[in-house]
Amino acid sequence: MKKWQIFKQGVLQELPLQLGVFPFGIIYGVMAIESGLTFLQALLMSSIIFGGASQIAFVQLLSNSTPYGVIVTTVAAINSRHLLYSISMVEYLNKLSLSWRVTLAYLLTDEAYAVSIRKFINHSDNSILHYHLLGSGMTLFLSWQISTLFGVWLGNDLPEFLDLQFIIPLTFIAIIIPMIKSKSTLITVVSSGISVLIFKNLDINFWIILSGLTGILAGMASSRWDKKS
Amino acid sequence: MIWSLIILCGVITFLIRFIPLSGIFSSDLPLSVKHTFRYIPLAVLTPIIVNDLSIIENNNFFLIENFKLYAALISIIVSIIWNNVLATISIGMASFLILSNI
Repeated sequence: MKKWQIFKQGVLQELPLQLGVFPFGIIYGVMAIESGLTFLQALLMSSIIFGGASQIAFVQLLSNSTPYGVIVTTVAAINSRHLLYSISMVEYLNKLSLSWRVTLAYLLTDEAYAVSIRKFINHSDNSILHYHLLGSGMTLFLSWQISTLFGVWLGNDLPEFLDLQFIIPLTFIAIIIPMIKSKSTLITVVSSGISVLIFKNLDINFWIILSGLTGILAGMASSRWDKKS
Repeated sequence: MIWSLIILCGVITFLIRFIPLSGIFSSDLPLSVKHTFRYIPLAVLTPIIVNDLSIIENNNFFLIENFKLYAALISIIVSIIWNNVLATISIGMASFLILSNI
């Protein structure tokens, strides 16, 4: 496959997720204006931070006059899961030039990662796979910027389309189910899924990364069972 | 001040994503370590799914009339049977819309 074909594949595989991402971007835009941010601040935050859930948390906390230190810590906590994404991409991206790594790190968000890691794992011998992540990441980036712009323009006239956001977890289900190929991967899913219920119930801020680490540790601990089976 | 706050959050977010790719990790990692990395997508995407299903609302379990949960279970079955992204999403979404409008 040629570079542009892989890039196009990344774009096309990312597109269905935009049905869920777009409303999310609009909601952020509306909330950002309501929180007191200017048009430019609301709009450029989507390029500067480029992390949906953390941006919504940012503007929510800002509306409640939360101390700035708490806002920074919350954004870092919410985005801490991207550290794990990046770690899992090392073996595929580490030999690229610095400019490529900087660009792809910037684009490494939930939806782009979910779509591209599947491609990376299944075609790990391909040396131009990074074009797939570039395609998925740029699609998400453009969608996020445009939807933010819509939200900022709409202001309080927010249409009802919240249900569409359910497409995002459904897409993640479609991506992870085929990855469950052994006992240890199943244990990873079950343990991270159960631990998120516990950590969220305890109101722990870092629930995503703690649940993720629990899942990874459970997977590692149970990997010996894979060899026996 | 708001601008500084936005930029600081942006820099922190970028560093979180970039540090592992900055070269501090060798690409010739031992096989056992690479094997561990395979658990990451499952371990991080699963909590996001579970969170989006709103199983916990205001520190209480929300199960009986949780149509997202039922639709997600249907989409899991579809994914196991057909292993098709589009079928999983469309049947899951259709199930959710039907259940919530009955």
